[in-house]
Amino acid sequence: MAVIVGILLVAFIAGVFGSMLGVGGGIIMVPVLSLAFGVPIKTAIATSIVCVIATSSMAQTTFAARGMTNMRLGMFLEVATTIGAIAGGVTAVLIDGRILQGCFAAVLFYVAWQMGRRGAGIPPVETGVMPSRYYDPAEGREISYGVHGLVPGFVLSLAAGNVSGLLGVGGGAFKVPIMSLLMGVPLKATIATSNLMIGVTAATGAAIFYGRGYMDPHWAVPAVLGILVGARLGPILAVRLKAKVLVLVFEAVLCVFGVLMLLQALGVMP
Amino acid sequence: MSDAPRPPVHAMDAVERTVSRVLTVGIAVSVVLMALGLGLSVRDGSGIPHGVVPFAELPSGLAALDPAAYLSLGLIALIATPFVRVAGSIVAFVRERDRRYVLITSVVFAVMCFSVLLGRA
Repeated sequence: MAVIVGILLVAFIAGVFGSMLGVGGGIIMVPVLSLAFGVPIKTAIATSIVCVIATSSMAQTTFAARGMTNMRLGMFLEVATTIGAIAGGVTAVLIDGRILQGCFAAVLFYVAWQMGRRGAGIPPVETGVMPSRYYDPAEGREISYGVHGLVPGFVLSLAAGNVSGLLGVGGGAFKVPIMSLLMGVPLKATIATSNLMIGVTAATGAAIFYGRGYMDPHWAVPAVLGILVGARLGPILAVRLKAKVLVLVFEAVLCVFGVLMLLQALGVMP
Repeated sequence: MSDAPRPPVHAMDAVERTVSRVLTVGIAVSVVLMALGLGLSVRDGSGIPHGVVPFAELPSGLAALDPAAYLSLGLIALIATPFVRVAGSIVAFVRERDRRYVLITSVVFAVMCFSVLLGRA
């Protein structure tokens, strides 16, 4: 019973932060499940992947209703992330997993630094490409924008999909900076759109894990239920908080992700 | 609370409505099935079962009120939701006569199905 309450609680926290920032929170679930609860690593990854789906689906009930999710941009970049994820197997053969995790950690720290420097302050530009607008309660005004940098955004999303297909986690941590820093999408629209996109790659991964018998309801069901409650709250916070505050939280979470990845690369942690 | 003016309500377009509905129904179905499964495991006094029920054995498990079958189906519903969401978006874009996004979304759906098939092999 204590174990179930523990998982509910961890999942709740992962759900809040994952949905608030559009990063899914799976990367936190894997080490906690395997280190604190002794869950076998493949089962822990499978559990974290269904948690990402739950986060993604639940978060949209808030974001889509407010018009914050840029559906067309999401669908467009999903082409890149799904194809990138398929190619993950190829990359796995070419590069050693440890080296990849080390690089991943380095990129996370770089992205955290860049987001802090520029993330909240990029003024939206009306480019007429995939135009969208939403009301931001924290600013008290409607924010209207268009997307730019479709080609570099698409190419980097291929890489983001590739990494998330490989490591089972981490797609959202790249999708948010790609859309925000490179494509001129305001932070909240970025978070909402990333939240939508992470469900797609996670669903294909989860289907494969299910088929191979790594999914275990004993861990997955309490984790999903905790995540769902957290992912109901996270988007409400994301909507209400100022972009500056969200960037700070995003940076902090990316640094935690980076340290976790580094520890995995060094073999200290599963 | 604050006395700020009420924010304008966003009017969802066809695609947003479809996506929202699919995801909300997906979550609801999944939660109901999981709750049933948890209820049954409490009744059996067995704790939450380990291991999912293979696809082929689901119908018999459900008929026998096996908690694992209900929990497994709940997880399947959750996993299937993004697939249905993408498929539903294709339909919504067809209705909006947005050919470019019918194509884009169809590619996403095809790649999703292809990677599942690839992963099985």
